[in-house]
Amino acid sequence: MTTGSDEPKNRYLQYLEIVTGPLEEKKRYRQYKARIKRLPENYRIAVEALERYLMHFGPVDGSGAMEMYEDLADLFERSAADATPIRDIFGDDPIEFVETFMSNYPLGQYRARERHRFTSAVDRAIGATPPQDRTE
Amino acid sequence: MKRAMVDDLTEMLKGTLEGCVLEIIGSEETYGYAITRRLNELGFADVVEGTVYTILLRLEKNGLVQVVKRPSEVGPPRKFYALNDAGRDRLATFWKKWEYVTSRIEKLREGGR
Repeated sequence: MTTGSDEPKNRYLQYLEIVTGPLEEKKRYRQYKARIKRLPENYRIAVEALERYLMHFGPVDGSGAMEMYEDLADLFERSAADATPIRDIFGDDPIEFVETFMSNYPLGQYRARERHRFTSAVDRAIGATPPQDRTE
Repeated sequence: MKRAMVDDLTEMLKGTLEGCVLEIIGSEETYGYAITRRLNELGFADVVEGTVYTILLRLEKNGLVQVVKRPSEVGPPRKFYALNDAGRDRLATFWKKWEYVTSRIEKLREGGR
């Protein structure tokens, strides 16, 4: 980042990201919210509950998160049109559903960092174990 | 009694549903709602729309299916799914794994080694 001929371009891209990125995402988010508002009430309540869960545990990175919310809107619009009962969307275990659904998107930074930390801690622990302990 | 026996298959089906969905898509281009109904009719009553949708999203992200949006009489357009070459490979691998797992478990039940 310090030298090189492509520095101005990088700066420009950074600038673009700062200025248009969040705007573009805000627009997508508003569109998503409008779609949710148009759903029949019980579907809307279900999506808003999901949204709350995803805000806490889901990906936080802008575009990955937006894609996820849009996929969610697709599912609920289609389910409302097919008159699929809410229970038949989630099954008996809504947590199971939301966790599996979430795993399709890049992890939020917090979860990604902690997973990496945990995996490498286990690797280090294995490396530190004397061989005789493992064969017992 | 028979009902209770096959009531809760969720855990057991978890790893095989993707293969089932691939097989259904492989025989004809179809959409989420129809895939769920098909699995329900097959005897997997607990398979729900959301589960199938999640699998379809995964197949799409992994580049195993071809997706076409078609207008629907009611509501937003439907996404129709068909297998591409990578999807057909994945399906063939699924059946190989299935054969391996079932043959091993069958052997275990027969008391073989």
